[in-house]
Amino acid sequence: MSDEARVNVIIVGGGTAGWMTAAALARLLPRRCAVHLVESEAIGIVGVGEATLPHLRAFNERLGIDEAEFMAATRATFKLGIEFRNWGRVGDSYIHPFGTFGRGQGEVDFHHYWVRMRQEGHAVADLQAYSMGVALARLDRFQPPDGDPRSIASTYGYAYQFDATLFAPYLRRLAEGWGARRTEGRIVEVERDGASGDIRAVVLESGERIEGDLFVDCSGFVSLLLGRTLGEPFEDWSHWLPCDRAVAMPCRTETPLSPYTSAIAMDAGWRWRIPLQHRTGNGYVYASRFISDEEARAALVAAVEGEPLAEPRLLRFTAGRRRRSWVGNCIAVGLASGFLEPLESTSIYLVQAAITGLVELFPERRISAVERDEFNRLIDLEYGRIRDFLILHYHATSRDDSPFWDYVRTMAVPETLSEKIELFRRRGRVVKYREGVFLDASWIAVYVGQGILPRGFDPRAATPPSEAVLRGMAALGEEIAASARAMPGHAAHVAGYCPMAPAA
Amino acid sequence: MNARPIERVVIAGGGIVAWSAAAALKRKLPRLAVTVLASEPPADALAERIPATLPSILGFHADLGLRDEDTIVRARSALRLGTEFVAWNHGLAPYVHAYAPHGRPLGTTSFHLHWVRLARDGAPPPFDAFSPAAALARAGRLAPPGAEPEGLEHGLVLDLPLHSAMMRAYALHLGATARETGLADVRLRADGFVGSLRLDDGSELGGDLFVDATGPAALLRSRLDPAFEDWSPWLPCDRVLLGESPAQPEPPLLDRAEALPAGWRWRSGGVERTAHGLAYASGALSDEAAARLLAEGGARAAGAPVALRQGRRPRPWLRNCVAIGDAAVAVEPLEWTGLHLAHSAIDRLVAMMPDRDCAAVELAEYNRQSEAEANRVRDFLALHYLASARPEPFWRDAAAARPPASLAHTLSLFRERGRLPFHEEETFSRDSWLAVLLGQGVIPRRVDPLALSVPREEAVRRIEDLGASLAAAGPGLATHGEYLTHLTRQVRR
Repeated sequence: MSDEARVNVIIVGGGTAGWMTAAALARLLPRRCAVHLVESEAIGIVGVGEATLPHLRAFNERLGIDEAEFMAATRATFKLGIEFRNWGRVGDSYIHPFGTFGRGQGEVDFHHYWVRMRQEGHAVADLQAYSMGVALARLDRFQPPDGDPRSIASTYGYAYQFDATLFAPYLRRLAEGWGARRTEGRIVEVERDGASGDIRAVVLESGERIEGDLFVDCSGFVSLLLGRTLGEPFEDWSHWLPCDRAVAMPCRTETPLSPYTSAIAMDAGWRWRIPLQHRTGNGYVYASRFISDEEARAALVAAVEGEPLAEPRLLRFTAGRRRRSWVGNCIAVGLASGFLEPLESTSIYLVQAAITGLVELFPERRISAVERDEFNRLIDLEYGRIRDFLILHYHATSRDDSPFWDYVRTMAVPETLSEKIELFRRRGRVVKYREGVFLDASWIAVYVGQGILPRGFDPRAATPPSEAVLRGMAALGEEIAASARAMPGHAAHVAGYCPMAPAA
Repeated sequence: MNARPIERVVIAGGGIVAWSAAAALKRKLPRLAVTVLASEPPADALAERIPATLPSILGFHADLGLRDEDTIVRARSALRLGTEFVAWNHGLAPYVHAYAPHGRPLGTTSFHLHWVRLARDGAPPPFDAFSPAAALARAGRLAPPGAEPEGLEHGLVLDLPLHSAMMRAYALHLGATARETGLADVRLRADGFVGSLRLDDGSELGGDLFVDATGPAALLRSRLDPAFEDWSPWLPCDRVLLGESPAQPEPPLLDRAEALPAGWRWRSGGVERTAHGLAYASGALSDEAAARLLAEGGARAAGAPVALRQGRRPRPWLRNCVAIGDAAVAVEPLEWTGLHLAHSAIDRLVAMMPDRDCAAVELAEYNRQSEAEANRVRDFLALHYLASARPEPFWRDAAAARPPASLAHTLSLFRERGRLPFHEEETFSRDSWLAVLLGQGVIPRRVDPLALSVPREEAVRRIEDLGASLAAAGPGLATHGEYLTHLTRQVRR
């Protein structure tokens, strides 16, 4: 028989990464692996990543998770995109929507026509007016997208904003139902094989020794297995992404329930605002080189719009990643593999990408190098693309009102990014990927939203007469505005679809 | 700052590639003045001489506004559903590479993983038995338009002279102009850009952008730099002999590619004639022996053997000169990629048209995409040799070559567990890779764990059911000839 022995998987650390991994493995590979998660209630979870990307929907669907139930359990709201305030200049505001500009059809992207009309001196609306996702977000409305590609309501996507401290317990229930085991306890020792260097077992404070074939490191920033034990070097990206701390404080929601996350640029970083059903999450991500913890804390407290629901909490981190995520028989998922600030809600996405890679490339007890290489190749792609996209937000600015902004505006950026910027600046061209997390429309939203306007446009966009282009754009703008106005309010949709249980 | 748009494009070369480029440029960017310096394509420009094409040609035509009645009926094309590979692995039966999916996924797991599971401890029907397209092709049948098996695509077998004439007429109709004289010299400006072409009639032809479609010699582009990346370590054939025979009344829907002791021989059925050819290594087979083998295949030679140097120009676009077709990438006809690569370069050229200064950053992106695409085509062709199993020295050496890194990774991941790594700019779909890998007997060492989550009995039952339903297809559908007649009648009406 080709059906060989099950692989014993030990997941170190609960939290979002740990329980997402446990749930996925237990659900998707029930006959191939035995899942055993070790966590300690004494160690808190970071619980960043309250806002997500649309990809999480595919993860949940694959596991057969019911959307309304999941949203009620995590007190979730819908998210159409991210609002960026004060990034290109103080006073600016744009939304990076999960969707396209224009209809997103045809071989020449909509923004080329928009650029042409502006250069010809026509009065055209902001590019934002031609995105259905933006229009809905600005009106605080929501309705699931239409499946018919001809409908303007098919041109946006959505993700969730949820309470990350509730997501892990929700997944834990599911994972345990699917056969995952859990052991409570703090790990005091990691045993390695003298010959191969692989991890053999973890030893708990209680003396219990847990052996495994494959170890998934979900220990968070500590990176207990990959970093501390195996010594995989950390690639520091803080010269490009200088923010290294965050102070977080939830508050009561006192505004209409917005179907988007906000990222508001501050003197030495930026502040998030994530509206959930029961509260609004807030935090100030800052660079300690440019502002003290006390100042940052005061700035957050002053900016928070509603009654605070907890004391401010401080987090420390360094932007960057472990050079490889899979070494020997150890795979790091989430913060144990690296950290990128939550500016574009990529934390949970990176967890998901690692889990998908692990499921698709699930090894035998004896791990082959080619699986490891392919996994690391995929994760390299993800980290590289997200890194450049995040750096773009800081670099594409004319702000010169604080030492922080002076630094990021003038810093040298990776060549892979400067080339992308130059291509856009010249002719509005976006380097296309067939697969990857942020596709064309995301890059266009940030470039244009932060003041990088193309000098030229795709010459094919020069062909139709100006009047026809203007008529088409006007009609599109009206259709988007009218369709958005006809949709229900976000709060009403949430209340009808996935209301959280009343507080006990 | 030189942001002046390109206005005048000169295309050197008078074959299908040049005229297709002219038509595409005039259709998509009608403000350009496009001049074609038309000369007879050289004998070694294989993209001009191989009539079998990939399905992408239909999209290329549709994009240009050409209809089936022009490209198939009036230009006398036949249809093709794939290629039958014979004797590439001595121990195995011929296999079909058709352009369509194999089987249906079981849950979220790809069909082939389940087939591998059965193949690991038994002998299921061959992998191509689960391709509806392969079944149709073997039976010589076509489903009516709109009723094809899901995902089926077909390519064309062109009538080359008619196709070239059609493209030329279409480009001229769209406003391109032709200069019918030879190229005497390429004049470079002080900054290294091409300034003008001096022509045989003594005149000068100036332009902002020069497209080199002159075949492997790359008469323009090679003047800027001679760099060439040689692929002969993986693609050992260095000569091609073409031939033809009368058309069959019912042209076959499958081309035939048969491995021979020092190369391989092909046959593609067209409407007006059947095209033949032989690709071989001159070190292992003499031209006389090649001619005999071609004759044994039922063909008479069409011209002398042509030398073939397989590889690519590392930067097809340099300054204001871009090489397309054989001038950019030269490969043997295996898998019929010559014209596809030319079309793809034309699409890229149209989509990435820069300003007159041809900014390096824009050209770098064009060249990056071209490189990724060409390398994966190279990998796919090299796969046929690396996964071959024949006793002759030519084949033993070919199979023992050390693959390029990207192909080595593909092969080791597939051999381990039947997975294929993802690549950007991939020409051939996952199912195409599977058809060749599994068709040539590359069986993964183990079964993918996700496939094992489906109970074995269920997988067996589903695979058997599918096999039975496919075996029943075929009769009752149109033959190739009936299909073409029907298409012709529709046009006349």
